[in-house]
Amino acid sequence: MVRHDVRVSVIAASDVSMVFGTHRALDSLTLEVPPGVTGLVGANGAGKTTLMSIVLGLRAPTNGSVSVLGLDPLRQGAQLRSMVGYGPERNVFPDDMPASDFVKHLAEVRGMPRSEARTRASDALWLVGLGEERFRALGTMSTGQRQRVKLAQAIAADPSLVLLDEPTDGLDPVQRDEMLNLIRQISSEYQIDVMLSSHLLEEVERICDNVVALDAGKLIAQGRLADLVGDVEGITLELAEIDDVPGSIDAVAARLRAAGLTVAHEEGLARMEVLGASSDDIADAVRDAVADSHARVRRIEQRRRKLEDLFEAAEA
Amino acid sequence: MTAEGNAQILDRGYRRFEGRRSGVWGAIRSTAWHSTRSVLGLGRKARHKVAPVLVIIVAMFPAVVFVGFAAFLGGDEFVRDALEGVIPEFSELPRQSLAAIVLFTGLVAPEALVRDRRDGMLSLYLSTPLTRPTYMLAKVMSVGGLIALVVLVPTMIYLIGLTFASLGPDGFGDWLVVLARIVVSGTLASLLYALVSMGAASITDRRAFASLSVILTMLGTLTVIQVLVEGADLSLNWRLLDPVNMPLEMLARMFGDLGEYPELSTERVYAANAGWAAASSGLLWWRYRKAGS
Repeated sequence: MVRHDVRVSVIAASDVSMVFGTHRALDSLTLEVPPGVTGLVGANGAGKTTLMSIVLGLRAPTNGSVSVLGLDPLRQGAQLRSMVGYGPERNVFPDDMPASDFVKHLAEVRGMPRSEARTRASDALWLVGLGEERFRALGTMSTGQRQRVKLAQAIAADPSLVLLDEPTDGLDPVQRDEMLNLIRQISSEYQIDVMLSSHLLEEVERICDNVVALDAGKLIAQGRLADLVGDVEGITLELAEIDDVPGSIDAVAARLRAAGLTVAHEEGLARMEVLGASSDDIADAVRDAVADSHARVRRIEQRRRKLEDLFEAAEA
Repeated sequence: MTAEGNAQILDRGYRRFEGRRSGVWGAIRSTAWHSTRSVLGLGRKARHKVAPVLVIIVAMFPAVVFVGFAAFLGGDEFVRDALEGVIPEFSELPRQSLAAIVLFTGLVAPEALVRDRRDGMLSLYLSTPLTRPTYMLAKVMSVGGLIALVVLVPTMIYLIGLTFASLGPDGFGDWLVVLARIVVSGTLASLLYALVSMGAASITDRRAFASLSVILTMLGTLTVIQVLVEGADLSLNWRLLDPVNMPLEMLARMFGDLGEYPELSTERVYAANAGWAAASSGLLWWRYRKAGS
């Protein structure tokens, strides 16, 4: 089986559109998802779940073509889906079924021999931290435990790719951290590629290697997370005014502009972004401007681009 | 060093699977078996087992009673000859359990179909090698197999019991022919009941309503047809629309018997059953064409 260290792209889509009646759910998407953990981000209704269902071969795109693990999801859907684990967003399961039976059954359906499925179900549940709870009925489990069961069933049949739809939905911050660590572990230690959909940008920034960002069915960014976000040229500055020196913040902005720097600042606000030739030059200029204007520095940091900025730029 | 000193926890970790996967047929088999276990309440609490087991026992009752009679009274040749005229033909036996068959279809099909739609299993199944048609095939195999427990198995028990009581078919060749007829006709009748009940159960996502829908489709249609034919003196051909009796009528014709309604031609009986199968399959296709996505 091909693993993610030797494959060029896990998912490749070319000019994919999906239209439901008059609603265009996906609009001419062309993308390449490399191996590793990929975050599929976008607001609710951005087209994430539709893209996942096309990747699984459950829907035929209105236009365009898709290749997943080198297979055509429509023509080779059964073969593909035996190599793909899927954790749906929906959190409803057969309530009276023990977790081990549930995971074992789905591993069997994905092609594992019965005895192998039993062993792997147990191993997967131990891996996600439910070893002691594996014989409990699903209906008696908490939301966090159910999310872990969903992850266990997705990985039990040794997939090459795991698709997780909102895997941290309904989890508290501690549970969310644990879930994200598990997902990272699955990719880095077991060489399973993961695509997770989320509308929470900070969790994608935490664990993903790659990002596909959708907005209203349109692709607004894709690529390595390190290339899309991170430190960029410039400084973010937050100032405080001293009571007896009114207008000092606006004065700082004016002095920086006068020094030839680009300043993004709305009059009266404490925060500004300063762009220029190099961060060192900007830092020197900021120091001088603040001292001369008698303002007070509350926060100063290297400018950083976040995923959120991609969406803001797209909206603009 | 002692054995205790050597003890350590075995951490198998996550392992690759390099073996052969069972593919689509494995997925169908596994889903059908899982569904069968679920309907019979196997691996579930005792209360889930009560209803199916009770109905199966009721369905077996006529076969067991007749076999019992034959075993106790059939020792004498004169009594045996008399019994041959009294005990039902193989093609007639399923009709003795008709109420249990209808009740069982009302239990089995909703349990097999509705649970998956309600608890999200259907969308999970569709993320595996199963597609909607192969998922439905697994369900037909499961529901058909279960209904065979009340249509086919009692007749098999009956055949074996009568054979031991020296009231079975004459000679091994005849015995094999009867066995083949029981298996083929029983399987077809079970599949027909499976399709009709699944079609009726598919119209709702509520199990109780699905059971009601199955029972109404079966008994409601039967009652209306009885009223039309016997009360309003309409054509006997209206009986062809009866989903309760037509599978057993077909079963009887496959034994070469005239069945309950000799006025209906065998071709029409087969055509009526084919029509029910097609209509139910069409309804299932329509209800599941987008389900689970």
